[in-house]
Amino acid sequence: MILRSLWLRPTLAQPTRALITVLGVAIGVASVVSTLLASRAAIASMSADVQSVAGESRLEISRPGGFETSDLEALRPICTEALLAPVIERTALSPDLGDLVRILGVDLLIDQELRSIRLDATGNELEAARNSMLHASGVAVSESLSKDLGIGVGEEFELVIRSRKVTLQIAAVFKPERFDSAWDRFILADVALAQELYGFEGRVDRVEIKPRLELNLQQLASRVEGLLPPTYQVQPASARRDEGERLVRALEFNLTALAGVSILVGIVLVATTLATSVVQRQNQIALLRSLGASRSQIARAILVEAGAIGLVGGSLGVALGWIGADSAVSSVRATVATIAEGVTPGIIRLKWEWALTGISLGFFASIFAALLPLREALRTPPIQGLRSQHPQSIAGRPWKMRAALFALLVGAAAFFASLPPLADRPIWALVSALFLLSTLLVLAGPLIDICAGIRPRFMGAGAAISIRLAQAALEASRTRAAWAASAVGVSVALAVSMTTMVGSFRQSVVDWTAQAMPSDLYVRPLTTVGGASAGTIDPALTEVAIDTFGADFVDPFHQSSAHYKGNLILLGGAAFTVVAQHGGVPFLDGRPSREVFAEAAERSAAVVNEPFARRYKVKAGDTLSIDTPAGFIEREIAGVYRDYSGHIGRVVIALEDYLKAYPNEGPKSIAIFLPPDQDLESSRANFMQALAGAYSVEVLNNRELRAEVLRIFEGTFAVTIALQIISSLVAAIAVIAVLSALIRERRRELAVVRVLGASRTQLFNLVLSEAFLLGLAGTLGGLFIGLIVGYVLVTVVNLQSFGWSLDFVIPGSIFMILMIVIPACLLAGLAPAFMALRTAPRESLHANG
Amino acid sequence: MQTVKWILLCALALGSTPQEWQRVMPGMTSSFPKDHGAHPAYRIEWWYITGQLESTAGRRFGFQFTVFRRGLGDTPNPKSGSKLRASQVLAGHLAITDIDNQRTLFAERLRRMGSPLATASEQDLNLHLEDWSLSRNENGRIALRAADAKTGLRLQLELEPRKPLVLHGDAGYSSKGADPGNASAYHSWTRLGSTGEMGINDQNFAVKGEAWFDHEYGSSVLEEGVSGWDWFGLHLEDGRDLMLFRLRRKDGSRAPASAGSLIAADGSVTNLDAQDFIINSRETWVSPATGARYPAAWSLEIPTAGLSLDIQPLVPDCELATTQSTGVAYWEGPVAISGSAQGRGYAELTGYAGSMEGRF
Repeated sequence: MILRSLWLRPTLAQPTRALITVLGVAIGVASVVSTLLASRAAIASMSADVQSVAGESRLEISRPGGFETSDLEALRPICTEALLAPVIERTALSPDLGDLVRILGVDLLIDQELRSIRLDATGNELEAARNSMLHASGVAVSESLSKDLGIGVGEEFELVIRSRKVTLQIAAVFKPERFDSAWDRFILADVALAQELYGFEGRVDRVEIKPRLELNLQQLASRVEGLLPPTYQVQPASARRDEGERLVRALEFNLTALAGVSILVGIVLVATTLATSVVQRQNQIALLRSLGASRSQIARAILVEAGAIGLVGGSLGVALGWIGADSAVSSVRATVATIAEGVTPGIIRLKWEWALTGISLGFFASIFAALLPLREALRTPPIQGLRSQHPQSIAGRPWKMRAALFALLVGAAAFFASLPPLADRPIWALVSALFLLSTLLVLAGPLIDICAGIRPRFMGAGAAISIRLAQAALEASRTRAAWAASAVGVSVALAVSMTTMVGSFRQSVVDWTAQAMPSDLYVRPLTTVGGASAGTIDPALTEVAIDTFGADFVDPFHQSSAHYKGNLILLGGAAFTVVAQHGGVPFLDGRPSREVFAEAAERSAAVVNEPFARRYKVKAGDTLSIDTPAGFIEREIAGVYRDYSGHIGRVVIALEDYLKAYPNEGPKSIAIFLPPDQDLESSRANFMQALAGAYSVEVLNNRELRAEVLRIFEGTFAVTIALQIISSLVAAIAVIAVLSALIRERRRELAVVRVLGASRTQLFNLVLSEAFLLGLAGTLGGLFIGLIVGYVLVTVVNLQSFGWSLDFVIPGSIFMILMIVIPACLLAGLAPAFMALRTAPRESLHANG
Repeated sequence: MQTVKWILLCALALGSTPQEWQRVMPGMTSSFPKDHGAHPAYRIEWWYITGQLESTAGRRFGFQFTVFRRGLGDTPNPKSGSKLRASQVLAGHLAITDIDNQRTLFAERLRRMGSPLATASEQDLNLHLEDWSLSRNENGRIALRAADAKTGLRLQLELEPRKPLVLHGDAGYSSKGADPGNASAYHSWTRLGSTGEMGINDQNFAVKGEAWFDHEYGSSVLEEGVSGWDWFGLHLEDGRDLMLFRLRRKDGSRAPASAGSLIAADGSVTNLDAQDFIINSRETWVSPATGARYPAAWSLEIPTAGLSLDIQPLVPDCELATTQSTGVAYWEGPVAISGSAQGRGYAELTGYAGSMEGRF
C-alpha cells in the first residue's frame, strides 16, 4: 500500500518526470558501458590475436630491432627439446579497404606443428599454391578478408608496405579452426616473402618455441637465454598480450573516468527527482506515518523507487551503450593503434556480466542518490507534527555548518590532489575532483539565497515583480531549489572542467606544433581512414629527399623499441645537426631547441621526452643506459622536450648512432626544411616528381601538417564534446524536473496570484524567472567549481595519466557554456510555465481546498 | 580441406620434370672429399647410415640415420631474395629398432636451407640439421649425433670405415632406368666400425657394432612406371658386403635397372646387374598404421657369387610414417642372414604405402 501510494501512483500520474529521470541514469550508464565494451573488445581482440597466432608456441625470443636469423645457430642444442619457428608479424595498409591488415610470415614447412590453419584447396590447386607461396608472391588470406577484398584464389591485390605499393596474389584461402574473428584481417605468407616485403632479410620479429614434450618453461627460457647474446628476451607469448593489455587498460581507465562523469550527472538527477518527490509527497508521508507506517517502511518505499529508476535506467543504458559502443570503438582504436600497432578492437560482444555491471551501476548510483532524500523523508514527522503545509519544510543547514563542510570538502580535495598516482593512475586526483564537485551540494543553498537576495533595480516594475515573486518562491522552496541548482551546477562544472582541460590541451598542442614542427614539408606513410599509421617509409625515399634538397635540409626520423631499466621504451634516431640548424621540439627548461640539439650533436648526447623524464625521474645532465640490439648505449641527457604525440617514454639519439644499433627499416617520417629562396609549392611539386609515383606517401606542407595534428586531436577528444552536450542536456532536464514539481506543488499559490489580478504574462514571467534564477545559481556555482576541477584535471590528472605538462588556459568557450546553459534553463522553464498557464485558477483552488 | 601440412607434403614431392637441375650422366667423375659434401645443383641427395649395434650387456639394436637434401623449385638458382627462400630443404630421419623388445622408435626433422639450422657443406661431409649432425673429421672418421626429446632417442656414434669407399655402378654412376639421365651418383662405405652411446628415454647404452654408409645424389632417379624399390645392405660374416636394389614396377615386376655390388673382404667390387640375382619375398607384413603390405622375408640367389641366402627381418614393424618431414611411409629395419652365408644387415622397402614415382 505504501509503495502504491508513495511511488506507483505518483509515477503513473507523472510519467514524463519518471521517464526523464530514467533517461538521465540511462545516459550515464550508456557512456560507461559503451566505453568499457569498446576497450574490452580491443583487449579481447588483442588477446585472441596473440593466443590464436601463437598457436602451440609457449615461449618467444625477441629483441628490439628483430631476431638475427644467424643467431639461430647458437640455438641448435635447444632443438632436441623444442621446435623453433621464425615469425614475422607486421601490418600493411590495404588501399582497397582503407584499413590495416596483418601479415603473418611463418616457415610454411614446419608451421603445421604450431598453428592449425585449414586451406580451402586440394590436389593441383595445392601444388600451385605451394609454388606460389614458397617461390613467388603468393599468400593465403582468411576467408573473411577474401570476401572483404572481393577477390579469390589466383587474383591479385595491392598492399602498401613501407610506403611502396606491392602486388600479392591470393594462392589460397584459409579458414582458421579457432578464434575465427582473430584471423579476420590476416594474411599468411612464407617467412621469406615477409622478409622481402619488409626489407627485413636476415632478421625476423621473433622466434617461437614449442617444446617437444612437457618441460619446465622457466628452465627452458633460462637455457635459451644462456645461449644467446644478453640483448634477447625470452618470455611466454602471453607477455606480449599482457604488455598490450596493460596499455589498453590504462587507456580504458582514462576513458572510463571520463565516461563516469556522466554517471555523476545521472546521480545528481536521480537525487533531485527523489528529493523533489519526497518534498512533494511530504503530506502523504506524514499521513502514512500517522496511520502507523514505520520509518523502515517509508525508507523501503523510497529505496524501491530509487532502485526501480536505477534498474530501468541501467537496463536502458546497457542497451544504449551497446548500440553506442561502435562509435566508441573508433575512438579507442585510434589510440590503441598508437600503442599496439595493428590491434583492431574487433567485434563488440555484450557479455551478460557487462550487462549486469551496467544495470548494477545504474541501480547502485540511484540508491546512492537516494540517500540524502531518504534522510529528509525519514525526518518527516507524523501529520500531527506538520505545523504547516508550507513547502519550506526541509530545513536548510546553518551557514556556519555549511562553511565548515565546504572547508572540509575543499581540504579533502586539496589533500587527494597532492597524492602521487596510484598504480600509475590518477585515482586520487579523480577523487579530489569528486570532492570538489560535491561542494556544489553545499554551495547551492547559499547561492540560491544570494540569487534570491538580488534586487533588480534596473528592471521595469512588471519584470521586477516577476523576479521578486520568483525569488520569494525559490526562497520558500529553498532546499528543492538547491537540489536543482546543484544539478545544474554539477553539469556546468563538468562541462566547464572538461572544456578547460581540452582547451588547455588544445592550446598547448597548438603552441607545441608551432615550435616542434617547423619543417616546410613533412613526409609520412599513408594512413588508414581512421588515421592509423602504417609502418615506415622505404629508406630509399630518404635518399631521394637528400638528392632533391640536400642532406642539410632533410631530417628522417627513425624509431624502434628498446629497453630502459627492463621497461619497453621508444628509441628514436634524428638528424641532430639538421635539427640544430632549423629548430625542433620545445624544451621544458625553455632553452632554444637549436641550442640543445647542437649540444646533443656535439657531445653525442640524447634528448628525452617529458613522459620519459617524469616516469623515470631523470633530468638534463643525467646519464642513461639504453639496452639496444647492439648492446647498451650510454648517453647523457641534453634536454627534456615537450611531447604530446604519445605518452610512452621516448629517447632520441643521433641518427648515425641509431643506425649502428638498428637495421635501416626506413624512417617513420621525414621532415624537410626548404633551402632559402625556394618556393614551397614548386618544391613540393618537384619532390613529388622525383618520387615518380614509386611511393605511396603523403607530403604535407607545414600548414597542412598542423591542421592534421589538430584534426587528430579533435577526433581524440570528440568524446569530451559529447559529454559536454550530455552535461548541458542533464542540466536542462534537472531544471524541467524541479520546476515542474514546484509548479505542480504551488498550483494553489499560483492560482491565488492569478485571482489577485496577475496577468497570464506575469505568471509566465514568474515561472521563467524561477528557471532563470535556478540556472544562474547553478551556473555561477558550476563555473567556479568547474574551473577548479579543470585546474586539477590539467595540472594533476593529465600529468599523472600521460606525463604531459600543460599550460592552464581558461578558454573563451566556457563563456559559451554559460550562454548556452542559462538560455537552456529558460527553455526548460517554458514547459512548466505553460503548465502553470494551462491550470485554471478556480480548479486549483478547489482542488487544494 | 587440408592443413598447412600440405606445404610440406607437396614440397617433397617432385611433381614436375626438373628443368634446370643438373642430371647425373654416364662418364661422371667423383672427387673426394669434396663429393662427400652436398651437391646443390642436383635436386635430390641423401646420406644414409644404417647398422646393427650391441650394448655391453648384449642388448641388440638396429639404427638408421638419414639426411635428405631436396631442391623444391624448378631451378637450383632461384631469383634473388631472402636467404630463407625455401629453394632447398634438409629432412632427417632417426630410427632405433630395439630388437630385444621388438619395437622401432623414430624421430624426424625438416628445415629449409639458408637457415643456420640446416646446413650442408659442399666441401666434405658436414651436415647440420637443427641439433643433428653428421660430419667427417680429419682422420676420416664420421661423427654422428642425433637426439629427440619427444621420442626419447639419443644416438652418438663414431664410425670408422673398414673398407675403402665403394663407387657403385660405373665409377659411381648408378643407372636407374633406360634414360641415361635417370641415374644417381652413388658411393658407400659398406662397413664401418661403430662405437658410441645410445639412449632410449631414461636408458643409456654403450654400444658397438657395424654400420653401412650410403651417399647418393641426382635429379631424376626413378624412371616412369617404377613405384618403389627394395634395398639391402648386408654384412656377411665371411667379410663380404652386398648391396642390392630391386626397382619395382607398378605391377610388382622387377625393373631392368635393378642392380647391386658385391664387395669382397679386401674391398674389391663386383658389379651385379638385374640378371645376376634373384630375390623373392616369402612372407608379408601389414602395417597397422598405414595398411601397407610389405614383404617380410626373402630368398636371395646370386649364382655367380655362390650365394643362396635367407633374409629375415629382426622386427616386423619397422615402418617409418614420416608425416612431419618427407611425407612418405617406408620400411627400414635390421635383418638377419642365413643360408650359404651368415650375416646381418639392413633392408629398405619403399613404395608400398603409396608410389614413390615422381618423388625420387
